[in-house]
Amino acid sequence: MRQAGAYSRILSRKTGPHSLPLARIKKIMKKSSDDVKMISGEAPIVFSKACELFIEELTKRAWINMTNMHEKRRSTLHKEDVASAVIATDVFDFLVNLVTHDNNCELKEDSHQVIMET
Amino acid sequence: MVDNINNILGSINSSEEGGIKEQDRLLPIANVGRLMKQILPQNAKISKEGKETMQECVSEFISFVTGEASDKCHKEKRKTLNGDDICWAMGSLGFDDYVVPLKRYLHRFRELEAEKANQKNVGKNIEESQNNEHRNFQGSFYGP
Repeated sequence: MRQAGAYSRILSRKTGPHSLPLARIKKIMKKSSDDVKMISGEAPIVFSKACELFIEELTKRAWINMTNMHEKRRSTLHKEDVASAVIATDVFDFLVNLVTHDNNCELKEDSHQVIMET
Repeated sequence: MVDNINNILGSINSSEEGGIKEQDRLLPIANVGRLMKQILPQNAKISKEGKETMQECVSEFISFVTGEASDKCHKEKRKTLNGDDICWAMGSLGFDDYVVPLKRYLHRFRELEAEKANQKNVGKNIEESQNNEHRNFQGSFYGP
């Protein structure tokens, strides 16, 4: 007979079955729009995986961007690096306002440089 | 009751970012930070602001995709948003690379759920047949 541990390993490389809290994901989904009324049990589960992929992609891009931009190697990822990666990637266009609305013009100029370089 | 208070606060000041509302609209910084660390080199560090920015981005991502999936359900006159709708919305919004791994994940999840349901039924059947045997045994003991 298979044990519970085997199932969670099949579903995910992580120690627990889901590395992000499903109830919180569901709350965020419900708040996104008034139209969202009923959510099936599997939807937050798909999102937990999708958010992992999203975080991995944005983090990777931020890191690569940062190491390309700076001659002196930094070892810490900063807010600006994430913002630059957002601005440099088409699919993250929906985040541009979020990462730049409370930043000063200096950041925008740096980001413009990123676009020109890539 | 706390939920009701949160909802009232939310509707009075939907742009409020601090306090109780913050808890609800972002994924925990520890989880987000851990996922970020896992993809970076061993020596890499992430500033607190960097993690906070990522938290905001993830919540926006969830809202963005949910909105698209919800629109589809609405157009098709369906009330419940399911896993397939989320997968479809990903593709529709340009996250093509995510679609295949997500569909695979969803498929495996559904398989496991079906197995769990089967095991429950098997367990029930065993229990029922054991109960029947017990009754028969008692019957024969006091039988004619």
